[in-house]
Amino acid sequence: MHIHAYEKVWLAASVLLILFLLGSVTYGAVGPGIAMVSDGESAIDPGGIDEDERFSEPRVEQVGETEYEAYVVARQFGFQPDPIVVPANSTVTFYVTSADVIHGFEVAGTNANTMVVPGEVAEITVETDAPAEYGIVCNEYCGAAHHGMEGKLEVVSQSEFDGGRNGGDGE
Amino acid sequence: MGRNEAAHASASDVSGDTEEFDPIGTLTLIGIYFVILVLSWVYIYYIEFLGRDLIVVG
Amino acid sequence: MSEAIEGDRTFADEFPAEARVVRAALLGSFLALTLGAVFGIIQTLHRTGVFRGLISSTDYYTSLTAHGVFLALSFTTFFLVGLFTWAVVRSLDRPLIDIRITWTWYGLMAAGMTMTGISILAGFTDALDMSADVLFTFYAPLQAHPMFYAGLAVFIVGSWIAGADYFRTWLAWKREHPDDRIPLQTFMVLTTMAMWYIASSAVAASVLVFLLPWSLGLIDQVNPTLTRTLFWFFGHPVVYFWLMPAYLLWYTVLPKIAGGRLFSDPLARVVFVLFLLLSTPVGIHHQYLDPGIAEGFKFISMTNTMFLLLPSLLTAFTVVASVEYGARQRGGTGLLGWLTDLPWRDPAFTGMMLAGLMFAAGGFSGMVNAGMNINYMIHNTIWVPGHFHLTVGTAVALTFMAATYWLWPQITNKPIYSRSIGLVQVVVWFVGMALMSNAMHAQGILGVPRRTAEPEYSGFDYPVMFGGFEELNVQIAIGGTLLFVSTVLFVGNLVLTMGNPKVSGLAEELPPALSGPDDAPRVLDNLGLWVGIALVLVVLAYALPLAAIINRGGLLGPGVGTYPVWFAPALDALANAATPSLGAITDAAASLVEVIR
Repeated sequence: MHIHAYEKVWLAASVLLILFLLGSVTYGAVGPGIAMVSDGESAIDPGGIDEDERFSEPRVEQVGETEYEAYVVARQFGFQPDPIVVPANSTVTFYVTSADVIHGFEVAGTNANTMVVPGEVAEITVETDAPAEYGIVCNEYCGAAHHGMEGKLEVVSQSEFDGGRNGGDGE
Repeated sequence: MGRNEAAHASASDVSGDTEEFDPIGTLTLIGIYFVILVLSWVYIYYIEFLGRDLIVVG
Repeated sequence: MSEAIEGDRTFADEFPAEARVVRAALLGSFLALTLGAVFGIIQTLHRTGVFRGLISSTDYYTSLTAHGVFLALSFTTFFLVGLFTWAVVRSLDRPLIDIRITWTWYGLMAAGMTMTGISILAGFTDALDMSADVLFTFYAPLQAHPMFYAGLAVFIVGSWIAGADYFRTWLAWKREHPDDRIPLQTFMVLTTMAMWYIASSAVAASVLVFLLPWSLGLIDQVNPTLTRTLFWFFGHPVVYFWLMPAYLLWYTVLPKIAGGRLFSDPLARVVFVLFLLLSTPVGIHHQYLDPGIAEGFKFISMTNTMFLLLPSLLTAFTVVASVEYGARQRGGTGLLGWLTDLPWRDPAFTGMMLAGLMFAAGGFSGMVNAGMNINYMIHNTIWVPGHFHLTVGTAVALTFMAATYWLWPQITNKPIYSRSIGLVQVVVWFVGMALMSNAMHAQGILGVPRRTAEPEYSGFDYPVMFGGFEELNVQIAIGGTLLFVSTVLFVGNLVLTMGNPKVSGLAEELPPALSGPDDAPRVLDNLGLWVGIALVLVVLAYALPLAAIINRGGLLGPGVGTYPVWFAPALDALANAATPSLGAITDAAASLVEVIR
C-alpha cells in the first residue's frame, strides 16, 4: 500500500498528539491527584432517602480536623442543604444523590461537577481555599422548572463557620 | 466545467501523478494546525483547568 | 470503470426511479431542517433573554426536544439515506434490487419520525394529553408518551431495512463482478451501515425492552444508569453516522469540485474501517461524571476515544491534499499561494471547505471533551453544544447544504436557482456559527449550563473571562439569527430551484483517485472481518460495565419512579403479571455478573 512520505509524517505526529493528550490526563490524575467520580459508593434506594442515615437530614458534618462531609440531596427543583456552608482551607467530600430524576451538581466556574443519578451516590472530594461564594446549578435537564434549580456553596472562614454552627445553623 | 477535469482524469496517468505530486502546502497547513492544537491544549488543560478552584481530589 | 459511468447523462437520466427516492429523502431532510431551524431561532432568542415572548420557559424544553430530534435524527438521517442511495447506485452503476423495498424503508422512516414528531409537538398544547419533553437523550426516569418511543423504534427499523437494501444491491453487483474491488463510495456506505447496525442495536434494545414497556405501564421502573449507558452506546457512534456522509462527500465529491481528485483511495478505506472499529467502544466518555461506573472503564473509554482522533486527522490531510492537487491542476503555485486558485465562487466548494475548517476547530473542543478529568470543567456546560454545533451543526450540516448545490442538479436535471445566493448562504452560516459557537464555548468555561431556558440565576453571577456572560449572550443571539437567515436562504433557493425547467448537460463525472483502489490491500474489502473485530471491541468495552451496572441497580432499576406517569394505573394488573418473569431475568443477569467476576 502506497502512503506518501508527508502523510507518514502526519500520521506519526497524530499518534504523538494522542499520546500527549493521554499523558496530560494521566499527569492530572497522578500529579494534582484528580480522581473521577466512580463506583466507590454502593447503590441506594431513591425511595428510601428520607429514612437514610446520611440523606434524611442533608447537612455538612465535620469528620476530621480539617475534613468535612456534605450530604446533599437533589430533587425537582432544588438542592438540600441550601446554602451549603463549609470552612475555608479544608477538605470537603460531597455525597450527592437524587430523590427523583437525573440531575447535575455543578459549582459554577469551578471543577466541582458531577451527574446526580437516582439510585447512585456521587462522591467528590475538593479542597477549599480562601472564603468565597459560589453558585450551584443543576446542569442536567430535570423537568419543567429545571432552569430554577440552583443552590449556593459558601466557603467561609473557620471562625465564621464555627460561629454559625454554634448559632444553631440547623440546615 | 466538468469536461476539462474529466479529460485530465483518464485512468492512464494515475500512477505517474502519484510520484510527482508532493502536497507540501498541505503539510504546511496541517503543521500550523498541529501547533495551534498543541498550544490550545496546553492552555486549556494546564492553565485553565488545573488553575481553577475546587480541584477534585477524590 | 464504475467511476466513469455518468458521461453525458445525469443520475436522474440513468436511474430515474432511484433519483425519485433520493429526492424524496432529501426533501424529507430539508423539511426537518426547516422545522429545526424555527425552533433554533426561538431558543437562541429565548435562552439569551433577547425575546421570551413566544414560548414559556416550560415550553422551551418541548422546543429543545424538537430541535434535537428533528435536526440530529431526522435531518441527518434522511439526508444520509438519500446520499447513500445515490452513492451506491452511482458507484455500482446498477439499480437497487427492488424499488418497492426502497420505498418501504422510506415509508417506515417517515412514519416513525412523524409519530415521534407529533408526540413532541403535542407538548405545546394542553388539548392533547401527550408530551415528550425528554430532550434528544430521553434519560429515564423522565418519561415521554409511548408514541415517542414507538416512533423511534419504527424509524430505526426503517433505517435497518435501508442498510439491508444497500448490502443486497452490493451482493448482487458482486455476483456480476466477482473480482472487482468494492467501489469506494459503496465501501463507505457499507462500513457506515455496518457501524450503524452495531450502534443502533443498543438504543433499539433500550427502547423496546425498557422504555416503551415502561411508558405503557407494563413495567414499573427502569434502571436509569442502564438506559443512559445504552443510549450512549448508540449516542457516540451516531455522531459518526452523521459525519460519515460528510466524509463521503469530502473524499469523493470535494476533490472533483476543486478541480482535482482524491489523493489516496486506500487511506480513505482505512479511515472508514477505523471508524467502524472505534466508533462504538467509546460511549462511556459521555459518562465520565456518572456515579456507579468505575474509573477504569472510563479510562479505557478515553483511550479508545483518543485513538478515534486518528481517522479524522488522517482525513484532514488526505482531503486537503486532494484539494491542493486540484489547485495545482488549475495552475496554483507556491507554498500556500495555490489557495487562491480554488473555485471559491462555487457555493458547493466554499461551503464544504468552510465546513471542514469548522470541523478542525471542533476537533480541538472534541479533544477536550474526550479528556477524562478535564471533563469536570466542561461537562454539561454550554461548551458541549458549542462543540457539536461545530461538528454536526456545521461540518455535517453545512457540508450537506453545500453538497446539495452540486448534487441536486444531478438528481433533478434542474440547475440551482442562484449560485450567488448559495455562496452568501454558506458564508452566512459560517459567520453565524463562528459567533455562536465561540461564545458558547466561552460561556461553558464560565460554568453556564446547557439545556436550560434561563441560564441566568438569582443567587450568583458568573465569573468574567473572555467577555462576560451578557456580552456572550449577545454574540449567541446574533450568531443564531444569522444561522436562521442562512437556513431560510438555503430552503428558499431550493424551492425556487424546483421551479426551474429541466435542462440537459448538467452531468458531472467523479474522477478516479490518484492512488487508486489497486494500491489498497484486498483485506480492506473483507467487511466480515472488520465487523467481527468491531463486535469483539464492543464486547470488550461494554460487557463488564453493563454487567456491573445491572449488578448494582438491577435490570429494572433501584426503586426509581416515573416522571410524568402516563398509563400506569390502568395497566397495573398487567405489570404485576409481568414482574415475576422480569425478576427471573434480573436474577439471571446478577448471577452472570458473579460468574464474570
